[in-house]
Amino acid sequence: MNITPELVKKVAENARLKLKDDEVKKFAEQMKEILTTFEQLGEVDTTGVEPSFHPIPIKNIAREDIPKECTKREDALALTPHRQDPYFKGPKIL
Amino acid sequence: MQKFIQDAKTGNIDLVDHTHKAIEQAEKINKEYRYITAWADAISRAEELQKLAKTGKATGKLFGVLVSAKDNLCVKGVETTASSAILKGYKPLFNATSVQKCIDEGAIILAKTVQDEFGFGGFSINTGIGIEKPLNPHDKKRTCGGSSGGAAGLTQKANFPHLALAESTGGSIADPASFCGITGLTPTYGRVSRYGLIDYANSLDKIGTMAKNVEDAALLLDIISGKDDHDSTSQETHGPTLVDTASAIHGLRIGIIPETIGEGLDNGVRKAVTTALYKLEQNGARKIELSLPVSMKYGLATYYTLAMSEASTNLAKYCGMRYGASDQLSAPYNEYFTRVRTANFGEEAKRRILLGTFTRMAGYRDAFYKKAAQIRTKIIQEYAEAFNKVDVIITPTMPVVAPTFDELKKLNPLQNYLMDVLTVSPNLAGIPHISIPCGTSNGMPVGLMITGPHFAEHKIIQVAKAYGA
Amino acid sequence: MAHKFTTDAIIGLEVHVQLNTKTKLFCSCPTNVAEPNTAICPTCLGHPGSKPVLNSKALEFATKLSLALGCTIAPTAVFSRKTYFYPDLVKNYQITQYEVPLGSHGIIILDIGKLIRIERVHLEEDPGALIHESGATLIDYNRSGIPLCEIVTHPDMHSPAEAREFMKKLLNILGYLGLFDQNTCVIKADANVSIREKNYERVEIKNITGFKEIERALTYEIERQKQQDVRRETRGWNAEKGTTYTLRLKETEEDYGYIVEPDLPLFEIDPNWIRAIKATIPELAEARAARWVSDWKIDETDAKIIAANIDVAELFETIAKKIDPVFSSRWVRREILRLLNDEKKELRETQFRAQELIELFKLLIDKKITDRIGQRIIEQLAKKQFSPAAYVKEQNLVMVADENTLEKICKTIIEQNKKAVQDYKNGEEKSLMFLIGQVMKQTKGTAAPNVVKELLKSLLA
Repeated sequence: MNITPELVKKVAENARLKLKDDEVKKFAEQMKEILTTFEQLGEVDTTGVEPSFHPIPIKNIAREDIPKECTKREDALALTPHRQDPYFKGPKIL
Repeated sequence: MQKFIQDAKTGNIDLVDHTHKAIEQAEKINKEYRYITAWADAISRAEELQKLAKTGKATGKLFGVLVSAKDNLCVKGVETTASSAILKGYKPLFNATSVQKCIDEGAIILAKTVQDEFGFGGFSINTGIGIEKPLNPHDKKRTCGGSSGGAAGLTQKANFPHLALAESTGGSIADPASFCGITGLTPTYGRVSRYGLIDYANSLDKIGTMAKNVEDAALLLDIISGKDDHDSTSQETHGPTLVDTASAIHGLRIGIIPETIGEGLDNGVRKAVTTALYKLEQNGARKIELSLPVSMKYGLATYYTLAMSEASTNLAKYCGMRYGASDQLSAPYNEYFTRVRTANFGEEAKRRILLGTFTRMAGYRDAFYKKAAQIRTKIIQEYAEAFNKVDVIITPTMPVVAPTFDELKKLNPLQNYLMDVLTVSPNLAGIPHISIPCGTSNGMPVGLMITGPHFAEHKIIQVAKAYGA
Repeated sequence: MAHKFTTDAIIGLEVHVQLNTKTKLFCSCPTNVAEPNTAICPTCLGHPGSKPVLNSKALEFATKLSLALGCTIAPTAVFSRKTYFYPDLVKNYQITQYEVPLGSHGIIILDIGKLIRIERVHLEEDPGALIHESGATLIDYNRSGIPLCEIVTHPDMHSPAEAREFMKKLLNILGYLGLFDQNTCVIKADANVSIREKNYERVEIKNITGFKEIERALTYEIERQKQQDVRRETRGWNAEKGTTYTLRLKETEEDYGYIVEPDLPLFEIDPNWIRAIKATIPELAEARAARWVSDWKIDETDAKIIAANIDVAELFETIAKKIDPVFSSRWVRREILRLLNDEKKELRETQFRAQELIELFKLLIDKKITDRIGQRIIEQLAKKQFSPAAYVKEQNLVMVADENTLEKICKTIIEQNKKAVQDYKNGEEKSLMFLIGQVMKQTKGTAAPNVVKELLKSLLA
């Protein structure tokens, strides 16, 4: 399994993580070792096997379209300094 | 426990005084062992309950009992961080359903217990930036296990009536229970609502219980079980209450998987486990050898691939907006997000995010994420077939006793992951399992893990009680 | 990249429709709340520990729409996580349907008979609403979690006009199904457009609101592509300026790292449930109009125009059961619909009722009143409910066609308008119209116009 520093940087960018050069190197080595071990998954014959996304079958749980009580705006805004009432504030786009 | 609850209800015990003393003790324990990340207002609650006791209105199966909650369980108004710096200062606006159920039964929420950041680890050494690692209650040079390390340590050390809410994704209840010498009960996936649980891996996370004995662990599990409209994956529970389940072993078929007591196991651990099995046989159990080749060989890779894929998406929400750690807002937004995340996630969290992002990236998704999901099906089937032949499966919980911190330093990340080998497959299959103490090795406790089929918690409890836990 | 395109322009659309449910897709917060950040809860704020629970109505609506578009419904509905980072996306992943869309292989047929294939229809959650202010980005999360239905077409449209027609037809279907409230729900589209001159290099234009803007944006973009260099990119549409602008280059497209949403179950779609929903789909406009033409032989254009408005179509069908459909259709189109358009009103905002209109049309068809009187009465029926027959009787509005009566009045008018008479005799046809008008005025509009005309002509000959 070839895990290059470039690949690690790409993955880090995708995950919004900034890595220093020595970190890139270290993670690349560790990831290589770990993923090479995980590659053994390919040994298992899974022809015709459906994937399981839960350990038990879970089907058809939904709710009625009935409005319920909401969170108070002040309670939600109080959780962050980034607020400009009545709005939440975010980093600038562009 | 039951006597205490009775006394509390009838007012035979001054609940406020008792709670003061318990908190004092907990603070002392914490100073030495570092199990607690945040304290709830237990005194106000005790005063409330005391009033009810005085007016004869005291009800609830946990009346007056102090309950600690793993830091990834939301407790309204109490700092809840999953032991991560990125959630520093976050006080949820709601209680996790499991926490609320305890409160509804008259419990007093004591504190949040420390863990590996978001559950990423088996030794509680991956606590978040600025958060101290907990110490093993038997030997401060050793780890508590993880990720529910604080919960296990506090359960062992507390001398007041106390129960712990804990959580397991790949073995995080059984592992520290084994290392700390207490009982850790992990239920079937879906038995307990995950609403209010800060997610590690949604198809693997289970909230469970820790106590000094099986009966108390079962009591707490009874209370937190049940379908919840807030969690689409939660299930109805049927059958008798677990706390009333009687010990039973005669004629029970116990499955043994030879690889689990072969090489790679500490000698002392093997001895303790085989002795325990012998005891059960003496009481009428029958040993049957089983082979679960896919689970044993591929369980770890399957577990980590799926867990990290899900975890990397769960952790995307932590970006310095709306709650938790933040920084000076600046453009462009991607740079802001990156800055906050990089500064506040610990190394293991970053590693898992990177791995989990990779395993679901275009080009790798089929070989890793999708493949692992298919192998999961095979593992679930393997266990289902095994339980046609046996009633329970017994293995050691961990291949070793609690390592020292020095020993752990020598392990690389992959070696760390390999320690989970015995617990990951039951967790992948979502089957219930209980870890009970079964002797010592080198003075440190050894854990025995009893697993059963889906929703057959009563079976594993029967056997655990028969063993004498 | 090899392609098989031959036309001048290639257009594909991705339309996002807000569904008309009472609550959001994954939580019970109400939709349609104006006051910012008051329709919020831990789930639609993405608070740690919160979990999604599907709104069954949203699934029903999306299935209904898929069926109305002729789609095949997936036997199992699966939800996916699409991970990307943006301030309006509370979890930094959107719950959508990637692996398997709810509906696939649908079509909309344009009037000229062209098929626009629908590749997929699926459910997903809306992000919050961004409000840009200088120096900061402000967000209102009322919109976070609102149910969206995404409809993706094949690139089968070849002109902005075709795209506009597609959107109109889609809106019409949405109206018929009642899943979409024009007053409160929003419809947005992303468009993919490429032209032959630039070797079909594809540009995406994101977030165009409203079907009129879609035609404008596409027209502009096609022109721009003819004149400028074209590179593969994502552009935005500035409705005020009427221009598109670069948002980001497509090369740096995010890898969304899709996984199946583990907090939600699988939804097995029961064929009986599909049948039940199908039964609730009303006959849609196209089919209805075609039926009227075939059964009642009414004019095709009249049929299409009436059928396009679901309320008026219902009204028409009720009237047509009692009064000749051809006659009714003309009056419904030329008087009722015209009135609604002129006053920019919906039928339900007027007092029109089938009962009174049937009575009125009977008077007209029996030639008891003139067209002009009929028009006047219709204008009044829009504002209040009353019996036209009784009114006509009261006000003496019955058509006068008796030649003797009319002849007397004509003679009077001729007497009183000597100049007009002279002009007519000199060849001014208009003056005849004037004289007819005077007779109508005298008779308060009740004189049969054709009889008056003939009488005047013979009197003045």
